[in-house]
Amino acid sequence: MMDKLYLVARIADTRVALRSRSINSVVTVGTPIEVPAAPPHVAGLFALRSRVFTLIDPHVVVGLSSVPVAPGQRVVVVDVAEHGYALLADEIEDVCFIDAPETRVTGKLLPGWARVAEAMIEHEGHSLLVVDPSHFITLPAARAA
Amino acid sequence: MGRAGTVMDDLLNDFLAETAEILAEAGGALVAWEADPADRAQLDAIFRLVHTIKGSSGFLSLPRVTALSHGAEDALDQVRRGNRTADGALVTGVLGIIDRLSQLCDTLGQKGVEPAGDDSDVITALATRDEAADAPAEASDIQLRREDDLTTELQGWRSIRVPLPLLDSVMTGVTDIVLARNEFARMLRESGANPSLIASFDRLSDSIAGMRQSVSQMRMQRIDKLFAPLPRVVRDLARDLGKKVRFATSGGEVELDREMMENIRDPLIHIVRNAIDHGIETLDERVLAGKDITATIQVSARQSGNQIEIEVRDDGRGLSPDALVAKAMASRILGAADARALTPREKLELIFRPGFSTAAKITSISGRGVGMDIVKANVEKIGGIVELRNEEGRGLSILLRVPMTLTIISGLMVRAAGQYFAIPRGAVREILLETSDSVRIERLGGGEIATVRGEQFPLLRLETILGRARDHRDDVEDRALVLVRPGQGQSYALSVAAIHDHEELVIKPAAPMIMATGLYAGTTLPDNGRPVLLLDVQGILAAAAIDASEAGRQMDQAVEAEAAAAAERNAAQLLLFRDINGRTRGVRLSVIERVEEVPALALFESAGQVQVQIGDDIFPVHAAKLPENHGTLKLLRLHDGQSVLCYPIDAVIDIVRLPDLVQPAAAPGLIAGVLLVNGEPVELIDPFWLMEQYAGGAVVSAQHQPICRIADDHDGWGDNFLAPILRNAGYRVVAESSDEAPDVLLCLTDEGGACAHLGGDVPVIRLRASVAAASPDDDTVYRYDRGALLEALRRRVGGARA
Repeated sequence: MMDKLYLVARIADTRVALRSRSINSVVTVGTPIEVPAAPPHVAGLFALRSRVFTLIDPHVVVGLSSVPVAPGQRVVVVDVAEHGYALLADEIEDVCFIDAPETRVTGKLLPGWARVAEAMIEHEGHSLLVVDPSHFITLPAARAA
Repeated sequence: MGRAGTVMDDLLNDFLAETAEILAEAGGALVAWEADPADRAQLDAIFRLVHTIKGSSGFLSLPRVTALSHGAEDALDQVRRGNRTADGALVTGVLGIIDRLSQLCDTLGQKGVEPAGDDSDVITALATRDEAADAPAEASDIQLRREDDLTTELQGWRSIRVPLPLLDSVMTGVTDIVLARNEFARMLRESGANPSLIASFDRLSDSIAGMRQSVSQMRMQRIDKLFAPLPRVVRDLARDLGKKVRFATSGGEVELDREMMENIRDPLIHIVRNAIDHGIETLDERVLAGKDITATIQVSARQSGNQIEIEVRDDGRGLSPDALVAKAMASRILGAADARALTPREKLELIFRPGFSTAAKITSISGRGVGMDIVKANVEKIGGIVELRNEEGRGLSILLRVPMTLTIISGLMVRAAGQYFAIPRGAVREILLETSDSVRIERLGGGEIATVRGEQFPLLRLETILGRARDHRDDVEDRALVLVRPGQGQSYALSVAAIHDHEELVIKPAAPMIMATGLYAGTTLPDNGRPVLLLDVQGILAAAAIDASEAGRQMDQAVEAEAAAAAERNAAQLLLFRDINGRTRGVRLSVIERVEEVPALALFESAGQVQVQIGDDIFPVHAAKLPENHGTLKLLRLHDGQSVLCYPIDAVIDIVRLPDLVQPAAAPGLIAGVLLVNGEPVELIDPFWLMEQYAGGAVVSAQHQPICRIADDHDGWGDNFLAPILRNAGYRVVAESSDEAPDVLLCLTDEGGACAHLGGDVPVIRLRASVAAASPDDDTVYRYDRGALLEALRRRVGGARA
C-alpha cells in the first residue's frame, strides 16, 4: 500500500509526485540563515526540533534562477546519507494514493529535469513527473555555466 | 535457550570484543618489538596480552583458542627467560597464531561455537626451536594461571563494556538537556527572575556542565587504538611487495570520539595500503631517484580547534597530475575537452572520482574497486574532509580532517555581514577591539597586518573570506580582532564586526556541500533556536592562502631538522646488494654514481676486457666473461672522481649505516673484509682494489684529460709512436700548431736544453733518442722508456686536472 502513496507538490514551477517512502516529513520553515560561500542551490540552514537542516532551492538544481525563501513556506524534509535536507516547495498539494503505474518518461525534458525525474504517473487527468528528492541534493557534476 | 545460555552468550560476546581489541594491539606491538627486540617492556606487554586471551578462553572452554594462545605464550616466555632469542621467524610464528585466533573468533562470533579443526601447523611452526629446551605441553594440560597472574591485568577488571547504542542514547539525552537548559536560561534572563531562583538554576547548570564533560569523555578514546593495526599492515604489505618501509606514528595521545574512530578506521588503512602499493617506489627506483632506500610513512594526529587532523605522509613518488589525467581519460571517466579545463588541483582530485584507480594495473593489494571515492565518502559522512598535498617525485600527504566529536564545545559567538558565526573557544588566543591602543593595523602591498604589542599577525577580515559585504548596521567601534591559533605554531588575526558572547555549543556536522567549502567545521544550535555555522579556523587559513606560521620558532625547527639531515648524510652508508653469484655484498654508497639497467647486448668484449656501452660512453665492466642471458643487467656505476667502472649485480637489497667493525681480509683483493649487517655476514667490496685493476683502461672524460703538446716533432715519431701511448694513458695530445694551452710540453729534440718552445709556466719534458743519459744531472727521458715517461708526466701534471 505504502508503495502507492505519493506527495503531490509544485517544485521549481513544476507539478511533481514524490514517493512517500523517500520523504521524512513536510514542515513549515522559519527564516533560514544564509551560508556564505556555499554552492548556489543551498538556500540556507534552519532548525527543527534541535536538528539543523540544509535548505535546498530546487529552482537552481533544474537550471532556473534562485527564488527567495518566504517566511512560512513549506518544505519537503528528506534524509540523504545521514544528513537532513529540506527542499523548498512552491506549493504542497496533497498526499494521496495513486493506483496508476509509473511509466517511462516520454518526451524530451530539460537537462536539469532529466537528471532528477525517474518516471511519469497519471493523476486526475494530468501527467506528473515522479522525482527522487535525493537527486536534488547534489548539483550536476559538469557545471553548465 | 535458558537463562544460563544468555549469560554464556554475554560472556562470549565480551570475550570476543575484548579479544578482537587485544589481537589488534598485539599485532602492532609485535611489529614494534621485532624492530627492537631489546625492548623488554614491549615483550612483557605482548606476553600479558596473549596470556589474557588464554585465561579468558580457558574459562569459556574454548580448547583451540587456549591451545593457540598457550603456544604463543610459551614461545614468548622462552624469550623472557632468555632460552630463546627473538628473531623474524619467531615474530612471524606469533603473528601466524594471532591470525588464526582472529579467524577463530570471527567464526565464533557467527556460529556461537568453536569450530573443530587442527592448529598444530601454526603451533609447531612456532615451537620447532624450543623442543629441546622444553617439552611441549599437552593441550589438555595447560596451566591457566601463572604465578605472576595477580600482578597483571588487575586494572582490566575495573572497567566494563557498554554497548555503543546505550552510550549514544545517554549522549543524545545530555545534548537535549543542554539545549533545554540554554533555552531556560534565556527565559530566566528575560523574565527578570528573583536571585534565589537564578542561584538554584545555576547549581543545576553547573551539574549539567559536569555531566556533559563526563559523557563526552566516556566516548573519547586515544587515537592510538586507531593506529594499532597499522604497523602490521605495513609490515606484511611491504614484505609482499619487496619494499622497505619505515613506519612511524605520532600524536597517539590525541583523543577522538569512538564513533568517529569507527568511521575512519577503514579509510585510514586504505590510504596506508595505497601509499605502500602505489606511492612508494621499488628499491631500484628509489636508488635511481637518489632517495633513502627505506621509505618513510608517517601517520600523525593532532588536534586543531575542535577538529582532529590525521595525516598520512609518504616520501614516495607523489601524484603526477598529467598521468592522472591520462589515466582518467583512458578509463573513460573524463573527456578530452573537460581535461583541458582542469586546474592542477582538480587534476589531483581525479583520484576521488568513482572508478578511478591510480595503479597502472590492478594489483591484488589495493586495486579492488574500493577506491579513494569510498574513502572520501566515508570521511564526509561524518563531516570531515580529505585534502591532498602533493609534491611530485617527493611524496604525497593525505590529510583527513574530522570533527573531534559530535558533542559539545565551548564557542565564541561573533558577528559578520549581519549574521552570527561561532569560533571554537580552544583556538582563540585573545580578543581585542580594533580601536584598542595595543593594536596597530596596517595595509601592506594589498594585504593587512595587525601588530599587537609588537607581535605581528596576518589579518583576515571575515566578510572578505565569506565573500560578503559589510553590514551597514555594524558600528565600526565594535569591530574586534580575534587572535586565532588554529594549530601548533600558527596564528592569525581574524577581524569581525562584533563579539557576541560565549556559549556551550552542540556541534553537528554540516551537509557535505557545506563542509566542502572548507570554511565551516559544523553547525550548532544556540539557545535562540537559530542555527549558527561553526567556522573552521584552519580551513579559513587555507582559503586565504596565507602563511600563518609563527616564524621564529619555525626557523629554529628548520635549522635543527637541517642539521639532523646533514648528520645523517655524513654518516658513511653501505649499499647492500646481491652479487651475480648470489652472495650478499656491500660497497660504500659514496663511491656509487648510480645504478644502471642496461640490455645485456650493450656489453661487448674487447682486448680481453668486458666493456659496456652506455649512451656515448664506453666503460669497463668487472666481469670475466660476457653474460649468457639476453635480458637486462643491473650495473653499479663506481666513480672515483676520475674514471668509471661498472660492477654487475643481481639486485639492490638495502642501504644501511656502515658498521664500524670490519673483519679485514688477509690479502688485498676484491673483498676488503667481512662485516655483520643485521646478524648476517656481508662481504665488503674494496673499491680501491677494483679501480686499481681497471685504472689503466679507464676512460677519462675529456674535460679531465691533461693536454700534451709535442714539440719539434720533425720526423713524425711523436705523432705516430708517442701520441697513441699518451692517449692510452689518459692524456689528450694536441698538434704543435694548436692554440690550446697545454699542461705539459714534450720536446723531441736532442739539443740539450735548447727547446725552442720553452715558454711561461708550462712544464717541459725532453726526450732523448739515446738510451744512456748524457750526464748524471741530465733530466731528459729516453724516448722508449714508457714507465719513466709516464712517471715524468705524472710528476709534472699530477695525472689529471682537479
